[in-house]
Amino acid sequence: MEKSISFLLNGEKRTVEVSPSEGLLGMLRDKIGVKSPKCGCDRGDCGTCSVMIDGRVVRSCLVLAIEVDGAALTTLEGLLENGDLNPLQKAFLNKNAFQCGFCAPGMIMSATELLKRNSQPTRDEIKEGLAGNLCRCTGYTPIIDAVLDLVSEQKKDRKQ
Amino acid sequence: MSGYKYIGKSTVRVDGKVKISGAAQYIDDLEFGPGLLFAEIVESPHAYARIKKIDCSKALKVEGVVKIVTGKEFPYRFGLYMHDRYIFAQDHVRFVGEQVGAVIARTPEIAKRASKLVRVDYEVLEPVLDVVTALLDNAPLIHPELGKYQHVPWFFPEKNTNIAHFRKVRKGNMNEGFKEADYIFEDTYTVPRYAHCSIETHGAVGLFDHSRRLTVWAASQSPHTQRHLFAEALAPLGIKHKDVRVIAPHVGGGFGGKAGVSMEILAASLATAVQGSPVKVLWSRAQEFYNTYQRQGVVAKMRFGVKNDGTITALEQKLYWDAGAYVEYGANVVNAAGLSATGPYRIPNVYIDSVCVYTNLPPGGPYRGFGYSEFLFGLESHMNEIAKKLKLDPVDFRRKNAICEGDTLNYGGKMNPSGLLECIDKVAKEIEWGKKRVSKDPRKAIGKGFALFWKAPAMPPNAASSAFLKFNEDASLNILVSAMEIGQGFLTVMAQIAGEVLGIPPEKIRVETPDTDRNPYEWQTVASHITWSTGNAVKKAAMDAREQIFDIASRALGKDRNSFYLEDETLKSRTEPEFALSLKNFVINGIMMKDGTFRGGPIIGRGMFMPEFASAISDPQTSQGGKPNVHYTVGASAIEIEIDRETGKITIPKVVLGVDCGKVLNPDLLRGQVTGGMLQGLATVLYEEMRFDSKGKLLNANFTDYKIPTAMDVPDEIVSIFVEHEQPDGPFGARGVGEHTMIPAAPIIANAIEDALGIRIKSMPITAEKIALALKGLDLPQASRAEPPVCFQKTST
Amino acid sequence: MSITNDFEYVKPKSLAETLKILVKNKNAMVLAGGTDLVGSLKERTVAPDLVIDIKGLKELKKIEKKGGAIHIGALVTFSELIESKLVGKRMPVLVEISKKVASVGIRNRATFIGNICSAVPCLDSGPVLVAMGGFVHVKSRLRTRKIPAEKWFIHARKTARKPGELVIGASIPLPREKNGACYIKLGRYQGEDLAQASVFVHLSLKNKIPLYQIAFGSVAPVPRRAHRIEKALNGRKLNHELVTEARNLVASVVTPITDIRATREYRLLMCEVMLERALLAAQERLNGRGPAYGVNLI
Repeated sequence: MEKSISFLLNGEKRTVEVSPSEGLLGMLRDKIGVKSPKCGCDRGDCGTCSVMIDGRVVRSCLVLAIEVDGAALTTLEGLLENGDLNPLQKAFLNKNAFQCGFCAPGMIMSATELLKRNSQPTRDEIKEGLAGNLCRCTGYTPIIDAVLDLVSEQKKDRKQ
Repeated sequence: MSGYKYIGKSTVRVDGKVKISGAAQYIDDLEFGPGLLFAEIVESPHAYARIKKIDCSKALKVEGVVKIVTGKEFPYRFGLYMHDRYIFAQDHVRFVGEQVGAVIARTPEIAKRASKLVRVDYEVLEPVLDVVTALLDNAPLIHPELGKYQHVPWFFPEKNTNIAHFRKVRKGNMNEGFKEADYIFEDTYTVPRYAHCSIETHGAVGLFDHSRRLTVWAASQSPHTQRHLFAEALAPLGIKHKDVRVIAPHVGGGFGGKAGVSMEILAASLATAVQGSPVKVLWSRAQEFYNTYQRQGVVAKMRFGVKNDGTITALEQKLYWDAGAYVEYGANVVNAAGLSATGPYRIPNVYIDSVCVYTNLPPGGPYRGFGYSEFLFGLESHMNEIAKKLKLDPVDFRRKNAICEGDTLNYGGKMNPSGLLECIDKVAKEIEWGKKRVSKDPRKAIGKGFALFWKAPAMPPNAASSAFLKFNEDASLNILVSAMEIGQGFLTVMAQIAGEVLGIPPEKIRVETPDTDRNPYEWQTVASHITWSTGNAVKKAAMDAREQIFDIASRALGKDRNSFYLEDETLKSRTEPEFALSLKNFVINGIMMKDGTFRGGPIIGRGMFMPEFASAISDPQTSQGGKPNVHYTVGASAIEIEIDRETGKITIPKVVLGVDCGKVLNPDLLRGQVTGGMLQGLATVLYEEMRFDSKGKLLNANFTDYKIPTAMDVPDEIVSIFVEHEQPDGPFGARGVGEHTMIPAAPIIANAIEDALGIRIKSMPITAEKIALALKGLDLPQASRAEPPVCFQKTST
Repeated sequence: MSITNDFEYVKPKSLAETLKILVKNKNAMVLAGGTDLVGSLKERTVAPDLVIDIKGLKELKKIEKKGGAIHIGALVTFSELIESKLVGKRMPVLVEISKKVASVGIRNRATFIGNICSAVPCLDSGPVLVAMGGFVHVKSRLRTRKIPAEKWFIHARKTARKPGELVIGASIPLPREKNGACYIKLGRYQGEDLAQASVFVHLSLKNKIPLYQIAFGSVAPVPRRAHRIEKALNGRKLNHELVTEARNLVASVVTPITDIRATREYRLLMCEVMLERALLAAQERLNGRGPAYGVNLI
């Protein structure tokens, strides 16, 4: 039986009808049309479906849509600043930190949460924070470098 | 310096913003409206069986099921190099997971539920799961009709056997070569199957509309080849090439897996069964593992003749490839590897058998490295063993025998410009070869490994590329090509090439993924050949446009066209420094004459490239006579590892890769290829392996048990070294490089382990478990069952 | 992959309501983090008629110190354990364990209690619970039970939970004495993996007498407490000979199998290696030295 649920999606209130067996990833992509979370493995192994629920990154393939009633969701679409790339995205762009781009939305979500909880992460902490997001193209090094770059730049900014 | 403005610069990706903003649309992101149908595949649970009966009656009764299709509706064979593959299984299934039928329904859930209700009765047959069994005299024939299959002229199938292709290379005189040698070294190495693991799975949507035009949207490396194969396979339905259109959106990784035609044929053919409605076929991660191409396993038996001073006099190399149930693409991997299985060495006497063997495992096919990673594991491991026995330094030994420009290749041609020696020296220096380091942790041993590598594009001699280039009013450009951006940075490099010729900054150039209706022909995005081949086509298109610009300007202005050059979006003259005409003033609208008429019009450049010097025709018994390879890209690689002697776990402080890919067009993007390719290669030797049970079922069709590396598994430091001996026929001197960066990974690890611990492991992968058990004198129960038909003993004398 | 099985969903607001629903619905399943349950629903290994989402029960979201034990509510995620000040101060090895579970995106959702309810042989939450003599707290409409951890795990994927019962949390006695602990998990690489084998060691000094609490994971159908090894070590100060003695007893305690993740031989060998490393690390930590909790020791 379908039920009506409401939640905030990137700051906007949305109300949709869902059946209990519907997954969050499918609901976001097919019902709402938010396409940045991707399906890479459908069992929580790859991290391409990462979205934030109440500020925490989760695997949307392992969440039922009905569970987010009343929650605040963030996807990559909600991280843009003034309709353009945010500083983290710019760091990824400048460091050639993605190739095919398929893992990039999930990777950015994880990096965003990491920096929110720890504004000065070490290289190892970055690796740990991103370890749940698989990338087959880059070898990760440019991704780690992009996050480190942003961190050191922000540190510089704060000093000035 | 080169004086180039855009070539050789680390231009930021032209596809950067679209991808990092999340705007890039991949196959599953495209919308097809409420009429979209979904197909679920009915799969074979058996590796080898005869289909007795298919009963769809129960499934057809499910509300929402639109149609059920089986082999009866599509009794066609197809394939890239050999027509041995079926759209749907006909009378036999030949691997676990093979498509027997498809349920097309209104929703994916209905399709899935109904597919479970399709009843297929099988007579289960004994599967052939390894090359040894497949090559036995009384082995069941997996393809009894092999003799009748259509194939390219450079394949040599042996009918009434399981040998789908036999590539023989014979150069020099083996008897003499071995007679001349002071030592003969023999050994056998094995490599299992691997999966590409693009993070995006395969997917395709087909629409056969009411005008009988077929459009297929596909996650693809090969839109034109797919169009061609769809048109060929579906010709009985009256479909012509012009009626088929393939649209390739952004693709989430390829690595060879999305080349050729695998599951895309299902979307194309199913669409014709439900005319007027788009139908989507989207592979699950499990299907991605067991029903696309897999990297083939190989058993490599080699025998080297070497003189006391380290000169290699002869090499006999026998490669037995587990090519799977269908080899329409995989047989060319066998072919390419066979032609080059000496590695980058100058060896006067060569005897290579590269044997493509059918088995009842999933179809083998192209995977980054195309056979070279596979044979190089054994070859470069063995090179170290030889050096050790001869008490030679392994780097000196390699250097002594390294191939140089002008040396005779295995098939008789001459080696292209090569900076191999320079790569060897620079890599050895960077890794501080010869300098031993001792770990601070007494439980750990440190070792270094070194290997050379090479690879040539494996492609038909007439593989062609073409390009259109259109100016816009503001002198920005659109380039239309059909090679694919699969992450390597192809679109950016094309913009740099055109920009260099036309004096337009790459950020003013848009290059997008193709639509075969609009974009000109490209063979495929494989073989590390598109920077070279499509790059040549784009360069020619840009030069064509430039000629048109010069032509218009000289006609309209009465100036000498030989004095013109383009710079900063402006037409300039060498003889009149003050002359400058902004391109945006005339590249669409022409130049106005005094009388108010105009000269010129929209500038559209056209370029085409085909290596007219290449030929795949040679003596089938020796491979002498043709010119199958357009060029080799060579290099050297080295690694330093630390191994925990108790657990076998390896950490990597440093890896170095030096490559000569001619002129480097974009250093950042190239470093990206080195970093990514190296990790992908390291994973094949350290963690990954496809594991099958005794019935041929893949046991680890998921990322839980097929481990691809994470951010926590990267080497501490990866150093890229570029040596630039320009390729005479490459765009600005460039050669291919995309695959090469993963090829040396396995042997550098194997050699470093040997250096650290004194143990030689001859089968991949070399997991921590394998090392720890080997150190205890225990052997890991062999995961790959393949043992060679003739047992070679190591007989160094 | 979509879930093809239909079910009803309810999100009760109180414990009492939850227990009532549980009794009434024989084929109901409880949903907390869902990282296991949603996967199982997709793979059709479970097919409930009703899913009861307990995330509305705020009282189960707590980590608290009560009666000399640390109590972990049924809704506490691994990330919350990692971030908890109480845990970091009083039982930092729980942080070490939690950091070995999958990756951040899973830890943000998956719960400690969910892990012990799934009760797969490779679970990370089991060894600490059985070694420390922890309890699993369950509640039904009629009674509350406090089940010793060693009795909780009955077999692979089978626990002592009875129909109508809800697991509301687990408790682990807090050591009063000077102590050090260590959890080592063997995976196929540094990234997220299911344990090929794991070991938990807790070493405390009671009146200066060493007391060892040891358990293994992934090498038997259920987490295996190493009573024989503990007995041999208790009261004795750790030294090279004692470590060797402990290593020699490993084979009599664990019963690993060969599967796709590792062979029996490697698991056995690594249990010895890990036991040695965990004992030494626990001792150093007890002495206020040693590697920080969470540092990779293998």
